[in-house]
Amino acid sequence: METHHINIKKGLDVPLPGIPERHITDLRSIDLYAVKPADVVGFTPRLAVAEGDTVCAGQPLVTDKRDTRLYLPSPVDGVVHAIVRGEKRKLLEVVVKRNLAPIPSPSKREEQTSNGNHSPLLEGEGSGVRLSPVWWLLRQRPFGTIADPDAKPKAIIVSLRDTNPLAPDIDYTLKGREHDFEAGCQALDALAPLHLVRPAGPHPAGNVGTQIAALCPINKGECVWTVGAQDVATIGHWVLTGHYRPERLVALGGPAAKAPHYYRLTAGACLSRITEAQLLDPNYPQLPTTNHPLSTRIISGSPLSGTTVAPDGFLGMYDHQLCLIPEGDHYEFMGWLMPGLNKFSFSRTFLSGMLHDFLPKNFNFQFSIFNSINTNLHGSVRPFLFTGSFERVFPFDIYPLQLIKACIVGDIELQEQLGIYEVEPEDFALCEFIDPSKTEIQSIIRNALEVLRKEATA
Amino acid sequence: MNMKWLEQWFEKIEPKGRWSWLGSTYEAFHTFAFTPKAVTRTGSHIRDAVDMKRSIIIVVIALIPALLFGMWNIGYQTYSADPSNFNFQFSIFNLWWFGFLRMLPLIAVSYIVGLGIEFAFAQYRGHEVNEGFLATGLLIPMIVPVTTPLWQMALAVAFAVVIGKEVFGGSGMNFLNPALVARAFLFFAYPTHMSGDKVWVAADLWGSDAIAGATPMGVLSSGADISIFNSQFSILDMLIGTIPGSTCETSVIAIALGAILLLFTGIASWRIMLSVFLGGGLMGLLFNAIGGTTYLDLPFYYHFLMGGFAFGAVFMATDPVTAAQTNTGKWIYGLLIGAFAVLLRVANPAYPEGMMLSILLMNCLAPLIDHCVISRNIKRRTKRAYVGTGRALSAEDRKEAHNG
Repeated sequence: METHHINIKKGLDVPLPGIPERHITDLRSIDLYAVKPADVVGFTPRLAVAEGDTVCAGQPLVTDKRDTRLYLPSPVDGVVHAIVRGEKRKLLEVVVKRNLAPIPSPSKREEQTSNGNHSPLLEGEGSGVRLSPVWWLLRQRPFGTIADPDAKPKAIIVSLRDTNPLAPDIDYTLKGREHDFEAGCQALDALAPLHLVRPAGPHPAGNVGTQIAALCPINKGECVWTVGAQDVATIGHWVLTGHYRPERLVALGGPAAKAPHYYRLTAGACLSRITEAQLLDPNYPQLPTTNHPLSTRIISGSPLSGTTVAPDGFLGMYDHQLCLIPEGDHYEFMGWLMPGLNKFSFSRTFLSGMLHDFLPKNFNFQFSIFNSINTNLHGSVRPFLFTGSFERVFPFDIYPLQLIKACIVGDIELQEQLGIYEVEPEDFALCEFIDPSKTEIQSIIRNALEVLRKEATA
Repeated sequence: MNMKWLEQWFEKIEPKGRWSWLGSTYEAFHTFAFTPKAVTRTGSHIRDAVDMKRSIIIVVIALIPALLFGMWNIGYQTYSADPSNFNFQFSIFNLWWFGFLRMLPLIAVSYIVGLGIEFAFAQYRGHEVNEGFLATGLLIPMIVPVTTPLWQMALAVAFAVVIGKEVFGGSGMNFLNPALVARAFLFFAYPTHMSGDKVWVAADLWGSDAIAGATPMGVLSSGADISIFNSQFSILDMLIGTIPGSTCETSVIAIALGAILLLFTGIASWRIMLSVFLGGGLMGLLFNAIGGTTYLDLPFYYHFLMGGFAFGAVFMATDPVTAAQTNTGKWIYGLLIGAFAVLLRVANPAYPEGMMLSILLMNCLAPLIDHCVISRNIKRRTKRAYVGTGRALSAEDRKEAHNG
């Protein structure tokens, strides 16, 4: 186990209002929980339960068709409440209703003595290996799938700082769980060399992709595992007690949130109680031209790469952050010509950016910039014209524009040469944010990685 | 400002049904009036406020000092060549007004022909109209002699837009700077209208007649002595721009104002701009070391002040589409543009000016430069894969990767 301090210079901290305050509402009493297979890259779900079944925390709800050892466990003791399918009967959610009385587990973790492996996360050997319910928390790069138990990762990376806008403070979220975290680290270190990374510098310094690129870049055929810091504590708790309790401190923030602060939740929690309390602020005006049922977008995950969820939706599988951002579906008269004191831009093409370097550091633009933070695209989609700005927010030894273009044309050989295995869509989130061409870069990268992953597993 | 009525008007006239083929034109005007209300669908939920329109409009604003001065200089050149040809009462403003009236038809023809073709192509392809031509269409009249006939202007713009850009797929897909394609077209198709001493100064308010008025490079390439040159052009004249030349390229100070805006906003690459001057300066010094003729002995900084060097370095070489796209590539690209421009000026007896051809040449070579730069990155990655040991990189490895 090793702790690294790395210093990243390239990047950008997007100044979003609504930073979560440091107090906690405990909402572990929420009733409904969902497991969302679609959040897990490369997971082909097969149901292991039926509606009405009684399940205990840690019991598989869905297994992976390709590798039946992989499964997504129920986060709580309870009853399978609903199985939600989407288009083409795609499995979207398995909803579990929590039971107040704990259900005795038929398959508690066996004693360490009967374990041939040196890690408590694996039981048994070879293809007969049984995975612990915390295994799905380990993710594998390239591709971002659940860690393959047969793989030999060259490192496991845990980031001790999240630099996303409005992200939770990792040290704060781990407070009181140090003991579990320590145990989790030891269990992971038994699998592969564990690297804890404490980065300095602007976003994306806290992204594991940035840290892998700085410490041990992934070559073709290699892999690295990553685990969220709070998930390490969940793993540790399981190792120490044999109880699967996937708890997280989730930071809720954003300009449309009433009272941004932290929530103590169990993974997959239903968000309706939170949105009821935080949303529908009478002071927050409903936009007159809105086409959306809500004037606020609820994002599970970072505003730069998270997923939109419904007000009664569920927390994303790996997310420890919720954001409420106003929808921006309204016109702006001659927006391209206005001085733009109220616009946030990485470029210095608006007055706010031009003055930024000249006014005193504590000058408060934010009253005005706040107004322009919304989900508006701020322009129309165009071909790539300008060059050189992606490199300023992309701390990899990779040519970002060239890699994106290789992904657009589908040249797999060139993608490999340019370093596709070292990146995930979230690593391109800032490129997408600052792009004046408004290209959907993250989905371009995701699609290219999916093609590669399917070729690799075929 | 409440523009609700205009929003509603646009929504009312949105072409539907049998008129829906007009979508591109409608979209162009609609997005001109209003930043669209489209919201993010995938990926990053929030986006930077900058877009293509904003970026291009910064270029147009950066051109304005050179444009305004160029207009004034047109009047000034005509007046100082022969005051009797000057149609107005003499005043600073009337000098500018004269130039404004001369430039207006050129600019109008450029925009009407160019945008007409752009709209037609966008309609035909079902694309949105790209903003790129807003800058190109202003650049073209700024780099031609004031006496250029309008029909030639129209032909050159059409050639530049169709052959220089649209055949490759429109803005962002072209490999040659469209404004320079227009100028090169004129230069080779109508050489008598584009070079020599009798094109730079308008004889009167209308028509394409010209009065003799030599440019600095015209004087130098005719083999004149340095003392003759100095008697005609002082450094201050060339810096301010009160000399004959293409309409808006003469004032280094006005161009510098534009350069400051482009560099400050980050729209143009400082690497390219700086390296063009570096390349030109180094080549000038090299020629000084050889010496022998007036041109070889000319102090290197004269090259920055004469002709289109400064204008080309600031507004043409920095076109991001046709320049090298990697940071290392930009240095090489700029250095070679500067060096070739001075080389062509001094060593080539056929053309007095070398900037246009130098930039067009390097436009062609930019992809090759990028290819070489990126190959180094690929080689480094391949090498790393072979020696891959599974260990974390050492501090030196990391430093090397960072620098490379």
